[in-house]
Amino acid sequence: MSDLVKDRALKREKKRLSDAGHRPKAWPKDSLSTVSNVEEPLHHDDTRLPTENTYQLGPYKRHSVPVITEILKDVLTCYLQHETYEAEWSRQMTKTLCEVIRARVKELMIPRYKTVVVVNIGQLSGQGMQISSRCLWDATNDTFATYSFKNSSLFGLAIVYAVYVE
Amino acid sequence: MDEFQADDETTFVVEEVGKLIKESVEATIGGNAYQHNRVNQWTTNVVEQCLSQLSKLGKPFKYIVTCVIMQKNGAGLQTANACFWDNTTDGSCAVRWENKSMYCIVTVFGLAI
Repeated sequence: MSDLVKDRALKREKKRLSDAGHRPKAWPKDSLSTVSNVEEPLHHDDTRLPTENTYQLGPYKRHSVPVITEILKDVLTCYLQHETYEAEWSRQMTKTLCEVIRARVKELMIPRYKTVVVVNIGQLSGQGMQISSRCLWDATNDTFATYSFKNSSLFGLAIVYAVYVE
Repeated sequence: MDEFQADDETTFVVEEVGKLIKESVEATIGGNAYQHNRVNQWTTNVVEQCLSQLSKLGKPFKYIVTCVIMQKNGAGLQTANACFWDNTTDGSCAVRWENKSMYCIVTVFGLAI
């Protein structure tokens, strides 16, 4: 059964790639868009054990926003303070920062929470820019924290979303 | 076959979400040039439209939608994300859109309940 699933996922991927060149006639010709997602295909684990009910209604321990903000401030300042923007370096640095922040948030050991970390590093050259995000989630249990850092040649923005799993 | 359809209902389907994002972006800023006083409203509209279309899908997912609109002037921008989630059910989709005066990057993360 899992082979069938994998085959279908591969066929969908091929179709998506072949469709990428086509654009409906209604769209204006002066814009271009590309779609991407994670490289590894979803692997369906046949040996997942069924889990028991815990009858837990809410999280026993929540994330503290000031603590995560402090982590972000610490990591961004430490890694970016004396740096200047360079394309190749910043490509590696965004990935490194993501992983460092994710590891530090995991160290807080708050159970039943999924984490999403987003890091943006950009060059400062007088361009206008707006970054916004919105979430469809349970506001009583889920939260986020952000921190932005700026020096003379670049800016760094880190956002951490913590989502409770029931 | 039953197991297969159940998977489609409870896993993140990238193509469907990608299509939805492209339509939201085109509807909001397609054909416009970068305007500093309107960009706040644009990002809000893109994000809200994506989110309302995603909720109409009716899947048991929590969604996080992020939108970056940047004026084109040769500056560089790098974005990365790292996630701690369930690989079998959760997923993300990033759409990069551009026209002559601006870039728009929309990322949707879907986390199964």
